[in-house]
Amino acid sequence: MFKLYSSLRKELLLLINDKVGLALMFLMPLLLVFIITIIQDSAYKMVNENQIPLLVVNQDKGSEGAKLVDLLTKSGLFKIDSQNAIEQQSLKSELLSRGKMIALYIPASFSAGLESNAEDVSTILMDDLGLAHDTTARRKVSMPRLSFYNDPVLQENYSYSVMSVIQSYMSVIENSLMIDRMYANMDIAERSAKLKDKMISNRVGIDQIVARNNNSTAIPNSTQHNVPAWTIFAMFFMVVSLGSNIVKERINGSFLRLKTMPTTFMVVMFSKMAIYVVVAALQVALTFSMGVWILPKLGLPKLSVPDNIIATIAVIFISSMAAVSYALMIGAFAKTEQQANGFGAISIIIFGAIGGILVPTFVMPGFMQFFSNFSPLHWCLEGFYVLFLKGGSWQDLRTVFAFLGIFIVFCQLGTYFKLRLERII
Amino acid sequence: MDQVCIQIRGVCKRYKSAQEDSLSEVSLDIMQSDVFGLLGPNGAGKTTLISILCGIIPVSSGDVRFFHNGTPYSNAERKSRIGFVPQEYAFYQELTARQNLDYFGAMYNLSQNRLKERREHLLEVLGLEKAADKKVGTFSGGMKRRVNLAIGIIHQPQILFLDEPTVGVDVQSRNAIIRYLQQINQGGTTIIYTSHHMSEAEEFCKNIALIDHGKLIAAGGLQHLKAEHQVENLQTLFINLTGEEYRD
Repeated sequence: MFKLYSSLRKELLLLINDKVGLALMFLMPLLLVFIITIIQDSAYKMVNENQIPLLVVNQDKGSEGAKLVDLLTKSGLFKIDSQNAIEQQSLKSELLSRGKMIALYIPASFSAGLESNAEDVSTILMDDLGLAHDTTARRKVSMPRLSFYNDPVLQENYSYSVMSVIQSYMSVIENSLMIDRMYANMDIAERSAKLKDKMISNRVGIDQIVARNNNSTAIPNSTQHNVPAWTIFAMFFMVVSLGSNIVKERINGSFLRLKTMPTTFMVVMFSKMAIYVVVAALQVALTFSMGVWILPKLGLPKLSVPDNIIATIAVIFISSMAAVSYALMIGAFAKTEQQANGFGAISIIIFGAIGGILVPTFVMPGFMQFFSNFSPLHWCLEGFYVLFLKGGSWQDLRTVFAFLGIFIVFCQLGTYFKLRLERII
Repeated sequence: MDQVCIQIRGVCKRYKSAQEDSLSEVSLDIMQSDVFGLLGPNGAGKTTLISILCGIIPVSSGDVRFFHNGTPYSNAERKSRIGFVPQEYAFYQELTARQNLDYFGAMYNLSQNRLKERREHLLEVLGLEKAADKKVGTFSGGMKRRVNLAIGIIHQPQILFLDEPTVGVDVQSRNAIIRYLQQINQGGTTIIYTSHHMSEAEEFCKNIALIDHGKLIAAGGLQHLKAEHQVENLQTLFINLTGEEYRD
């Protein structure tokens, strides 16, 4: 027991003396969670809560352009900046110079074109029904085109979303015009309101339901993603401290010296693992505390801790073991401290990128989603997602435990055989 | 009567992917309470032989047996009875001398009280008392050598293996180390020692073995070997037997 205590104490002292390693393991996740959550939260708000800044140039000579602007304003989705004096030729440069991301140009013939089209539709209908109507020839105006301008940095899907919103309001206007025209042709213009209300206002609604296995009320937000994601990233970054620690002991002969002593190497490895699993648990406690108590004070969403505490502890433990096992393997295979630090850090960034730490895997191309299965960080994150966002049960966590278990066994065996090859074990 | 402490018979060692044996048919008897010098040029096989005796690497063929007062003991038991001081500073530079001794002492199964007693004794006799709570990484080469030695002898081993224990240290540290080693040898500890300092070895060792190209080329009492080869000192004996060409 005294041997184990001494071994644990030695590991703890080595850790305490590794100031850079401590900073990387404890300061880095706090900074990452803090910075990335703020950045992503503003993006979430831009889509979910904030109004989208929209520059509108309405040069329509009729009233339909104004109606469209009015509908867009009333939707509450856009913060409209009307600048009707701007010429279409200079709209691109105006958009960029005003710092707006999107602009809508409504041409002069907008109302005329819509009305002309409505007239045509009404005429076809009246003729087909054999009803008498006003046959006075009117000037044909072709269907107008709106121009949508966007900053090149704006994501394509974001632009499409905004265009879809405009398109849906255009349907409202066009349908309304057609109904008005048909009723007018039938000389019952004053009775069009009822039909318009039935056709335009009374549309199929969509209820949004988030798929969860329990009654969890946690809503996907920047905090729910970033706190676990960057905690996992920081856990795996222990490769810099633990990996180089092992390389040092291998190179300076401490491990070989231990081989001449009446002790088992398992005590050494167990102590290392135990100390670093505790470090990982402390990392989680620190970043989660930040998510629960500090981020809300900064106006960011609060981290909702999952109900299943035992499952949460199990996910934290298996994630820590995966991180520790990876660090041990890098430490066993690296020839120098520089190799352990360089390869270790870069590999974690790559694993993080393909594992969905930086951007969620569902937005990745198909082949990258396949590769994400090979990242231990992906499975750790998946475990936290099951707990945090899907109110996960043990059933849901089975795959996570299976993949991480395989990864841990692979790393431990790799470490064992490499140290055995070097006759350290 | 002198009793055999280590019996080495026909030991050969060839590393994986090596073309030649690093040790070839080495047979030796090392007596209890001896100061035995394993001497030879670079790459002769001294460190390989010490590593085999300490149980770090296995033999390819041959046999090594350990005895105490004529009674053999197992390899497992050997670990409690031997001390090893490698060429490298095989300890933790980030820890203090006291913390290093605490850790390695515990690995030698010392009890807490015994460990404290031995630790303070060694820090005092090896002149490390004042710097005991400073990180070893800040120590001079001589101090580090003394820490390296202290770790190897903290459990008072019956047999002490020293692989070039005084390399790169000043005269004062070397004297302190040799003086203390002589002292523990008088207390009954068998010392097996390698060095490139012929004058130091001549002063320190009672018996020597000269190894070159993995083969034992001479072994026996130092005075006897000098008389047999009609040389005045160990250095001349060494050059006569191993030649003057450079070794890699």
